[in-house]
Amino acid sequence: MMRNHLSVIFLPTNKCNVNCEYCFENKTADRMSLDQLSTVTVKLLDFMDESSISSLTLHWQGGEIMTMPVEWFEQAHERIGALAQARNKRVDHGLQTNMIAYTPRWNRIVKEMFGNSVGTSMDYPNLYRKMFRGGPDDYTRIWKRNIQAAREAGINVGVISVANRETLKVGAESFYSFFVDELGITDFQVNTPFPGGEQNDTKRDLELENEELSRFFRDLTDVWVERGLPEGVKLGPIDQLIAHFSGEPSCLPCIWQSNCADEFISIDARGFVAQCDCWVTSYPDYFFGNIFEHETLSGLLKNSTARQEFVARPAAIVDKDCIECDYLSLCHGGCPVRTYTMRHTLLEKDPYCQLYKSLFRHTETVAARLAGARVDRTDFRKALIHTGKGKSCGSNSQTTAAAGWQTQPLVQLGRRKALS
Amino acid sequence: MNSVTYNIPAHLFDSYQGRKVIVRSDSSDELVIYLSRGNLENVLYAQLTSLKVELDLDPLLSWACALPIDVVVRNPAAEYPLLYHFSKLLDRHPVRISIPVKRGFVKAVRLALALGFSVKLEVGQPDASLIAEMAEVLDLYMRRSEVSQPVEYFHSTFLSFFNHQQSPNLWIVQEEDPEHFRFITNEGAETVSPRFGEIDLRELKLIVGAQQTGSRLSKTECDGCEFLETCGGYFKWPNQEFDCEGIKTLFSRLNLAAEELRNDLASFQELPGGLPA
Repeated sequence: MMRNHLSVIFLPTNKCNVNCEYCFENKTADRMSLDQLSTVTVKLLDFMDESSISSLTLHWQGGEIMTMPVEWFEQAHERIGALAQARNKRVDHGLQTNMIAYTPRWNRIVKEMFGNSVGTSMDYPNLYRKMFRGGPDDYTRIWKRNIQAAREAGINVGVISVANRETLKVGAESFYSFFVDELGITDFQVNTPFPGGEQNDTKRDLELENEELSRFFRDLTDVWVERGLPEGVKLGPIDQLIAHFSGEPSCLPCIWQSNCADEFISIDARGFVAQCDCWVTSYPDYFFGNIFEHETLSGLLKNSTARQEFVARPAAIVDKDCIECDYLSLCHGGCPVRTYTMRHTLLEKDPYCQLYKSLFRHTETVAARLAGARVDRTDFRKALIHTGKGKSCGSNSQTTAAAGWQTQPLVQLGRRKALS
Repeated sequence: MNSVTYNIPAHLFDSYQGRKVIVRSDSSDELVIYLSRGNLENVLYAQLTSLKVELDLDPLLSWACALPIDVVVRNPAAEYPLLYHFSKLLDRHPVRISIPVKRGFVKAVRLALALGFSVKLEVGQPDASLIAEMAEVLDLYMRRSEVSQPVEYFHSTFLSFFNHQQSPNLWIVQEEDPEHFRFITNEGAETVSPRFGEIDLRELKLIVGAQQTGSRLSKTECDGCEFLETCGGYFKWPNQEFDCEGIKTLFSRLNLAAEELRNDLASFQELPGGLPA
């Protein structure tokens, strides 16, 4: 099923230490034992052998991952490392945490297991992230304190932020300033909200207007180009889109892969396997199966009708109107969970389609402008004159088509020649 | 070694050892089984002639061999969404999608390119409405920033216009030059291409040769055509009365684009410091 690399969003605990109103997970008290972890690891390695996959990334989260003891992670790291080494496989680890329970005791394992990096989450303004006792302000205060401490300990902190209606009101400049100027964050990304999991009043009011969101993302792009780009600030997905449209290597988020079912799976503390963390605790009808109850992961995936729905989704919806979209190669119908939670079916395109198209168009234009500026800076002013002449190969295609001819030459060596 | 490449059904793979082959089957199981037990040195690529594979379980996905794969679409307007099932092949194999120029084929091209596949158009002799679709595909190939893969025959034609040193004609690009390619039917009979049906191989070679050298006795549209060198009379087969007007407009656009790129590059080179890195 997977590509040459296997990615697993791994929830060894379904327990959480905070009470965010818009969380899509249905929490339980379950957590995985070390023996269960070994069982899961062996089944993942078996699957990798069967599928000729050589590397695995475990994206650790919860629940809240820091509700597990540090000592558990130390042993987990050792066990997984030994099992992988015996099978000649590479395993990397990523950590996503709310940082509320962070203490310096985590520093050693963060360094040794997670490359001294953590991913965390915060919104601006914070409306929905709350402690069990206390409001958003208490949460924000503790979070700020802890990420500051982590950064002082040399840990790289990346932040995921979910836009809300107040985000749109304060605007892109204030949003950017909060993370970069006030907190000193240099690596963050903005996500769109969706009402996953059990419904409540907050979730019923969560969906944002495409037009307002589009304006916010366009403004944020412009702020980042002016202030962030020269300073090396990473702002996903905007920086990756600019890279993409500039013909540079890029890493686009899962919502814009040709099919997320080809990219990863998620496993929770009970052993349930599903498409991602958005599904694995909250939507039993879409569970692929339980890894503890199946002899092999490949057998579980092969026999899962729920998984087949995910695999088939892009092909099932492409003919509706995605096929006519200029940005089909970037999006392929967008995110299944946003579609399902807002449209109650998998077989529609992502409800944020209009936003995506607006953002693609804007970043494509910005990338072309930046390319022109780069040429200008090296005194190739004539390039700017050529741009916009309305020739049969327009300004866009001049760079693009030329890049294509360079990267995909007709005459390739050996047997590939016939296919080029 | 014989310079001819044979497009053979997979079950004849053993009997064509030592010759250059393209191995085809409508079953990925069969392809993997036959190809796994032979020497692949002379295999140009494997050709999967059906899109009807079981979702997610294609044996080609776990076949570690990096052999290029050509996936043939039969009914592009209806079947094109099935291309999604093949996107994972790109992780292990160079993949090309061969698409017949039939009504609605542009959708298949759009999706194939969006998924990162190379494309080869099985062009035949397109009527005016198909020429309009081909013009749309040409726009995609030339203008869209997402498209960096070759679309044949446009890609080779463009290169031949851009760099006159590099000028394979369409018979070779389309893998139908009788000097270089043979199609072996499932029954083992040798032909040039399924497109030519029962035409005798010797007759075809003579006619093709004449088209390419312009030495036919009777006057045809090819005489004096500015694109004859690139085209080689390809579009006059199998119906020699085919009107090339639409095809020529596509050639003209490619030629113009090549000229513009040449001029652009020349103007850059005139600037201090030459081309940007």
